[in-house]
Amino acid sequence: MPEVLEDVELHSETVSDQPWVTIVWNDPVNLMNYVSYVFRSYFGHSAEEAERLMLLVHNEGRAVVASGGREDMERHVEAMHDFGLWATLAKEGS
Amino acid sequence: MIPFARDGDLVTARFTPGERELLAGLAGQLVALLQERAAESPADVLYAQLGIGGSSAPPLDPAMARLLPDAYRGDAEAASEHRRLTELGLVDRKVANAQTVIRTVDTKVTVLDPGDVQAWLRHLTDLRLVLAARLQIEDDGDQGNGDEGMLDLYDWLGYLQGTLVEAIE
Repeated sequence: MPEVLEDVELHSETVSDQPWVTIVWNDPVNLMNYVSYVFRSYFGHSAEEAERLMLLVHNEGRAVVASGGREDMERHVEAMHDFGLWATLAKEGS
Repeated sequence: MIPFARDGDLVTARFTPGERELLAGLAGQLVALLQERAAESPADVLYAQLGIGGSSAPPLDPAMARLLPDAYRGDAEAASEHRRLTELGLVDRKVANAQTVIRTVDTKVTVLDPGDVQAWLRHLTDLRLVLAARLQIEDDGDQGNGDEGMLDLYDWLGYLQGTLVEAIE
């Protein structure tokens, strides 16, 4: 029983600590290999994950590439703008 | 030109004198555009030194608006606050990237260290974003409206960037 309660607590903590997401939007300019490269080199994603996210951006028009605290997401968005990718942050689920 | 190729930790390329002049000229134009934008900010020397105190409204020029996009969608207040605090820093870094390109392209053989490579990658992207805005390339598949020369330039810069990404992968 205590273990179950602990689990629930941990879960709610995780949710409240990570209410923000970084979203990268599709654009017709950036090359697919460049976008993959940015996801790998900046976020440290594996080649497979970077490729998956790049295709998600390309096919769905957007992808969530990171989640966490608001300040961290603002930092990520700024870094994406450095790379010339079109990114915004938002509250998770919004 | 001989496109980018890896040489140990370095990346090298050879450009013709005409290409070098073109790349340096484009970088110079981008610097001018960015500095023009920065000059629109309310002047406060201390804030400027800290890289904050920039404009709170997005640029009117679509090309600059794409280079310096809003960080929030559908929340104008948060977007303008974020812009005020971060835009000058972003402009400074883009200017520095362009200056790195101007410096490193001014030789027979362009030799880039890892830091220079990052500046080139970002700068080539910035140039393509500006050209795409001028050519009205807004959605996937848009062929662009404008003169052939500008379209060729856009494609060539894309080719250049592609070879640079391949060289470091």
